Amino acid sequence: MDHRDPAAQGPACSAGLAHRVRAHCPVGKGPEAVVVDAPRRRAFVACSRSDAVVALDLDTARPVWRADVGREPIPLVLDRPTGRLFSADARSDTVTVLDSATGTRLAQIPVGCYPAGLGHHPGLRRVFSGNTADGTITAVDADRLEVVGTVPAELGAGSIAVDTRRDRGWCANFMTGSVTSFDAASLRPLGRTAVREGPCKAVVDPARGDLYVASSLHGTVSRIRLDTGALLGELPVERAPVGMCVDDVRGLLYVCNRGAGTVSVLDTATGRETHRIMVGNAPGDCALDPVSDTLLVSNAGSGTVTFVHRPWLPGPPPPTSHPLVGRRLPGFALPDLSDGRIRTSREWAEKKYVINFFASW
Amino acid sequence: MINVWENTDPRDEAANFVAVWDIGATVLLDGTGEYAALLGIRGVPTNVLVDEHGIVRVVGGTTPDELDAAVAELLDGDGG
Repeated sequence: MDHRDPAAQGPACSAGLAHRVRAHCPVGKGPEAVVVDAPRRRAFVACSRSDAVVALDLDTARPVWRADVGREPIPLVLDRPTGRLFSADARSDTVTVLDSATGTRLAQIPVGCYPAGLGHHPGLRRVFSGNTADGTITAVDADRLEVVGTVPAELGAGSIAVDTRRDRGWCANFMTGSVTSFDAASLRPLGRTAVREGPCKAVVDPARGDLYVASSLHGTVSRIRLDTGALLGELPVERAPVGMCVDDVRGLLYVCNRGAGTVSVLDTATGRETHRIMVGNAPGDCALDPVSDTLLVSNAGSGTVTFVHRPWLPGPPPPTSHPLVGRRLPGFALPDLSDGRIRTSREWAEKKYVINFFASW
Repeated sequence: MINVWENTDPRDEAANFVAVWDIGATVLLDGTGEYAALLGIRGVPTNVLVDEHGIVRVVGGTTPDELDAAVAELLDGDGG
């Protein structure tokens, strides 16, 4: 494994008892999503600000190929039967299809406005894009690479989870705080479930029969029954959860907390967080490699993918408060967006104030 | 507000964001992310509450309820 992070590995005596960060692999600008093809030993990363998808070798953590796609690719889906990789390019209003073996572009399909989420039903041979700006879902035939229909959702439509057992899709609507369920075969809308503010990601837990929805503006994950659509409750995590994946073998849910630079690990049986993993800045999404027992986390803020070995094990206890609390704020001298003038912290001396660190994505 | 980690065209991206969300606050650009790194900021959004002595009181507090509570506590402190 390259790109080792010795400082993150901890003492040798703890190696068997704790998760271990194996690498922070630079991949490109703004990596938002990661998917894993374990049998072929590949991971694929959507680098939203590089307008590209990067393939990584899972064993060496080295890039294998890089392919240009549309503008601002955010989610990725891998269609394993064909080896096709689908990226939704938010600012191009397209879904780009790549050959996952080589990165060769196979098609670019116009969909709705600002597609920011994807879903996949391999049995029905369908890929779904959640179109944020027009509140719709576009269904694409995964073989013919053609649009086959549109489902009305709500403003902020994005991440789509598919319950393949019931042929039902669930689309998270960021702006309206809801999820839209739809028939993945007939494309008929089925219902609406209200969740907490800013739902960003939806995933299915087939083993438990639950749907999880990460509400980024509320710091919780909602749990919904797949068979009834009933809201079971909310699971607290850390700041701004935006990405998730399920380990249905171990009964764990991994949640990327964009506001904290951590991954929360939840026991799906109890709904409780068991521990947190420190990753890179502003993590966007995660995926498991079951062959090497590794969780891959795409960090949009630091332009890296973190490889975490045996993520189900706890690590060192996290600090109880941020190390800056109780200390003097380091001074700043930064340009003002409005006119480029340098503003310094001295302007705010003897005042009480709040600094909000933000990114536009 | 301090904008970080845009990667490309931070001025344009931040300006678009401010326009879309109708933000009236002062917005500064930490184009390299150095200042965020100095403070140990690891995610966005993150709020940093500073008292009148320049001491950091809270790091985090991003939900409306958390932020309201933290601001109320800051304002209730000495010299409020």
